Amino acid sequence: MKKLLILLLLVFTLPVSAGLKPYEGEGATPPLKLVDMQGNTHDLAEYKGKVVLVQFWATYCPPCREEMPSMNRLMEKMGDTPFVILAVNMGETMEEVEPFVKEVGPEFPILMDPDGDSIGAWQVFAAPSNFVVGADGKIHYTLFGGVEWDDDEIVSKLKELSES
Amino acid sequence: MRLIKSLQQIPLLLLVFLPATLFAAAEIETLEISDEAEVDIRYMLPKTRSSIYNIPSEGLYRVMERAMETGKKVFLIASGPDTELVLRVANEWEAKHDGAAGLAGVVLMFPRLNEGKPEPGKEPEYVEAVGKTKEVPLLLLEGERTPNRWGVKHLTTALAAGGSHVHAKLIPDVRGYFFKRQDANMPEEVVTTQLAGLIKASLFFLGRTDS
Repeated sequence: MKKLLILLLLVFTLPVSAGLKPYEGEGATPPLKLVDMQGNTHDLAEYKGKVVLVQFWATYCPPCREEMPSMNRLMEKMGDTPFVILAVNMGETMEEVEPFVKEVGPEFPILMDPDGDSIGAWQVFAAPSNFVVGADGKIHYTLFGGVEWDDDEIVSKLKELSES
Repeated sequence: MRLIKSLQQIPLLLLVFLPATLFAAAEIETLEISDEAEVDIRYMLPKTRSSIYNIPSEGLYRVMERAMETGKKVFLIASGPDTELVLRVANEWEAKHDGAAGLAGVVLMFPRLNEGKPEPGKEPEYVEAVGKTKEVPLLLLEGERTPNRWGVKHLTTALAAGGSHVHAKLIPDVRGYFFKRQDANMPEEVVTTQLAGLIKASLFFLGRTDS
């Protein structure tokens, strides 16, 4: 009984598995061309040659809020690896997004999609929804839900993808 | 007796697992009458999705049968994953009566009807009860500040697959489960206090919908 309790304790205290799931969808990567909070346009097509984490998030989504600092740490851990994060906000206004962004200070662009056009194109029905696009421009992994993005398993998968 | 007469003028709501604070006094009285009529279906279950799926539909079905005897308009209302149960019972009701047969509508508040976890890049899959109703009109309410709002169109189409008219309304400026939130903001507090009115408006709307 004691052994079982220890085992259960270990299971529940272990860090959540990275959870990057190989993408099973079909068809081409949807286009993504949006303006960030500073007014700069970002076109996913222009990031070919880099691994891109496309994340759909919102301030009203608690896991999205919780995990964003770990995305800053992920950027740091990726070092010189050609890697970019594009965090697409799901239909909120600048007024709604700004206070949170000021608090967290993301070191990657926050793209605004007030009409949710990209959300439909990317078939996003929940948040946070993540897509990892390889240097070849194809979606390789997806992930739903909050994680610690600087988890070693995630970092090594992203680095592997960059080298493939 | 006077109480029963006055109650006959209001529609009968069968609310599933909504917080007790949301019951209007008249509904509480109606439930008390149901108690007197020995329609007493209770389940003590953990609040998980699997609990809802395991609740047999017979209990709610029996409550509906008794409710129909009152001659009032009968609506089913549930929120979150509990919407699966009311949809399931509405399906069975239609199947056994060859149509809506007095069931005036179903209100699905912030429905959570996905089968399994959502997968980015894939269309959602829903529980079996979705898309089976043929005649009973359905009204879906969703908060505007919730990721689920982006799935409302898809869910509406899926719910209508069996033939039911489905209407969807977004409630502005509120997050998911706003009526339960400890950190409710001003719009959420306002909508929570007005929830009974929102439900009443929903019933009015459904009552005008051709089934």
